[in-house]
Amino acid sequence: MTFYTKTDTSTLPPMNQILIFVALTLICVVGLSFGLHTMLVGHHHTLGTTREVPWGLLITPYVFFACLSTGLCMISSLGQVFGINTFKPLVTRTVFLSLIAMAAGLLCIALEIETPWRVGFYALFSPQPFSNIWWKATIYSLFTVFTICNFLLLMTKREKIARAFATIAIVLVTIGNLNMNSDMELLGSRGFWSEGYMPLYFLSLSALTGCAAILLFSWISSLLNEQIPQNQKNTALQATGKLFWFLLLGIFYFTVVKIMGGFIPKFSNNPEAMALLVRGDFARNFWIGEVVLAVLLPLALISLTKGKNVIALALAGLSCLIGAFILFYDLVIVGQLVPHFQHYNVVDLPKYYSYTPTMHEIMISVGIIFFFLAAFIFGEMLFKKIYSPE
Amino acid sequence: MKGINLDKLKNEGVKTLASKERRQFLKFGLTVTGVFLGGSILSLTSAQKAQGALRNGIVPVGKFPYKPHYTMVVRQGHCIDCELCLEACRSTNSVPTYGHRTTILERSIPDAAGQQERAFMPILCNHCNQASCVRVCPTGATFKDKTNGIVRMDPKKCIGCKTCMAACPYNARYYKEEDRAIDKCNFCFDTKLKESGGKTTACCAACPAGVRVFGDLTDPETEAYKLIHTPGNVFWVLKPETGNLSNIFYMDA
Repeated sequence: MTFYTKTDTSTLPPMNQILIFVALTLICVVGLSFGLHTMLVGHHHTLGTTREVPWGLLITPYVFFACLSTGLCMISSLGQVFGINTFKPLVTRTVFLSLIAMAAGLLCIALEIETPWRVGFYALFSPQPFSNIWWKATIYSLFTVFTICNFLLLMTKREKIARAFATIAIVLVTIGNLNMNSDMELLGSRGFWSEGYMPLYFLSLSALTGCAAILLFSWISSLLNEQIPQNQKNTALQATGKLFWFLLLGIFYFTVVKIMGGFIPKFSNNPEAMALLVRGDFARNFWIGEVVLAVLLPLALISLTKGKNVIALALAGLSCLIGAFILFYDLVIVGQLVPHFQHYNVVDLPKYYSYTPTMHEIMISVGIIFFFLAAFIFGEMLFKKIYSPE
Repeated sequence: MKGINLDKLKNEGVKTLASKERRQFLKFGLTVTGVFLGGSILSLTSAQKAQGALRNGIVPVGKFPYKPHYTMVVRQGHCIDCELCLEACRSTNSVPTYGHRTTILERSIPDAAGQQERAFMPILCNHCNQASCVRVCPTGATFKDKTNGIVRMDPKKCIGCKTCMAACPYNARYYKEEDRAIDKCNFCFDTKLKESGGKTTACCAACPAGVRVFGDLTDPETEAYKLIHTPGNVFWVLKPETGNLSNIFYMDA
């Protein structure tokens, strides 16, 4: 009787990748266990959110990964939907990254809301079509389904049908992204971010983070597989680098607009929040995170190497992703810190509300980030041949 | 968002009552909030229509989206911050100690002589006609009662995304752990209002100074209606710039 068959060890992923995957998964599990604990005991006991500041750190990974997924979908669609040959070598990995980024975002929001088990039923049987949140949840869920189909079709080499799914996915995710902005804009009732440039800003940020992720994770992939990107892939990465550079210039423009809003109230719809961001308690976040890490350092790295050094491109991508995460954190938190009745001469009302993330919030965020990283390594182990058919 | 800081406006004296700022304030504040010329209530009227009415010297007859159209008049000048209303609200509606449906803010308002005048400002859900909280809720857990206009909660539908808390301009909502849902003022819909046959709420009944006056905008017999329709009475609503069309009206005396 045979209990097992000897497998061919050459088809197994390298041991170093397996070890990295296990390590990342363990950290992810530890992080997510904090989320489970929070779900069981209630957010009141574990999160730093309050009546005045109901959205905390956990919104940041959600917005970050949803925008990252949007950006990755945009870049993949350049090759897959719009047929630009230069970007075609990146399509499969980018579609997978887009999928796991959205999964990370949805996982995060599931842990952020208090009773996620009610979502499926009541979103379906008691829908509220005037709610941006409802549309966003619906659109992102549909996007996930279409992207899974797209990826499966790419795996099975049915590229024409895959392209149809990719077309629907890019339309959906773009609408979802604009909806994300509408969420924030609607909260204009509390002096949130209702600036006119926000829709374009969100889309540009998404494309920017998408480019940054492709540059970074392609480089990590080449390190893991000990393969230097080949001609076509190298050309694709350099083209992504150029696109990245132009997007950085665009985001730099928006950053200048923010700076102007922070110093000159008439340039902003919410001068108190902008002042807090640019020259208040969040100034360090803004200048180091949003200005240097997200924009200036990547711009300098790409400009100095003329966009041809893969390592410099990857480092620029890493710097930009860290900066973008800080940017999204600021975007979510700062607007909420302006007190409700600030112009009403209320006694003992602080100039700004305060919010500090708790250990649970930080660990859940870490869990979500490591979920994405573990899924990326998983993809590298499983789909190596699909990513690089040559 | 830029609000109108009335305290920083220059005192122009009685000779300049028709100044641009004052007209703008009247036009914006009063028409948006539905109170017009100390008489008619047009909660959904547009600024342009109201201005037209002013020009023709005609006070339009109020049309109300709901019947009864519940409202509350807060006579801010009468409030002594005894907090009996808060206690009544807690006990009537099982409000836990970590939350509140209504509160009282203390204001320090600079007067013309440079002194600080103290005032107490009760705050509760404004049951807005165009409520941000209702607009953002993905499952309809918070909704505008089609009959009486009360912004209510259906706790079993609440997913706890807290977008309504973020959207509310009045900080009138909190998360109730026991229900695993958002809780808020509902004019005591299922408690005192029901018991009293739609006549009063727990906070109004408990107030010894008649600060909170509950009523129906469609019923000329209610005190709230009479107050609002008394010529010369001046009202305001909180944060009119949000465009939520509040149903809580404040007055000094």
